[in-house]
Amino acid sequence: MLGWIPFFEPMNAMQSYWYVLLLPMSFGISIIYRALRHKSYASYWRSVFLMTTQIVLGIVAIAIAISLFVQFIVPNLN
Amino acid sequence: MTKIEQQDHSPNILAIFLGILVPGLGHVQIGQQRRGFLIMIGVFFLVMCGVLVGGIDAVDHTNDSLWFVAQIWCGLIVLLIDLLNHWLIIPLPIAEKATLVGLSHSNELGILFIAMAGLMNFVVLLDLFQAKPSDDLERRGPRRNKVVS
Repeated sequence: MLGWIPFFEPMNAMQSYWYVLLLPMSFGISIIYRALRHKSYASYWRSVFLMTTQIVLGIVAIAIAISLFVQFIVPNLN
Repeated sequence: MTKIEQQDHSPNILAIFLGILVPGLGHVQIGQQRRGFLIMIGVFFLVMCGVLVGGIDAVDHTNDSLWFVAQIWCGLIVLLIDLLNHWLIIPLPIAEKATLVGLSHSNELGILFIAMAGLMNFVVLLDLFQAKPSDDLERRGPRRNKVVS
C-alpha cells in the first residue's frame, strides 16, 4: 500500500472486500436520484440515507434469496 | 395542447448540452441551482470512487467499449480520464503496466461506478426535458399554517 498512488493506480487491496463498495455506490446513486425527485432541502439528506439503506437491504435480501435457491433448491432439481 | 403549453414544455437545448458536458450544469442553467449542484456532487462522487477503486484504467474506450457507451454520459471528465489512460498507461510495456491496471474486482467495480454515474446522468438529462426553473429544491420544508392561539 505504501507505493500506491490514489486516483492513478487501482486499489487492488479492495479485492477481498469488494462487496463493501455497495455502500458508496448506493449512496452516490441516492444523492443523484433524490436531487431529482425531492421537493425540499430540509429533509433531503435524510431521504438520501433512507434510500441508501433501502438499496443495501434490498440487495442483501436478493443475495440471501439467491444463495438459498442455489444451496437448497438447485440440488433437488436433478 | 395550446401554443402556450407547447412553449412551456419545449426542452432547453442549451441546458441539455451543458448537462451532457458537465453533469448538473443543465439544471444550474435553467435556474435550479441547488438541484444542479447536488447532481454534480453525486456524479463526481461516483466517478471519483470509480477512479479510486479501478484507477484511470477504469475508462477505456478500446478494451471496454460497451461500458464506455454508459460511461460517456458523464461528459468531459470521462473523456479526460480516457485520454489520460491512453496517454499514460496503454503505451507502457506489459511489465510496467501490470501495477497500473486493475485486477478483477477492482477493475469491474471501477468500471461499474463510472457506468452508473453515466446512466444516472442520462436520467438527469431526461429530467431536463420537463424541468421548470421554479421547481428547484426549497431551502426549507413545506410551509405549515401557524396555529394562532
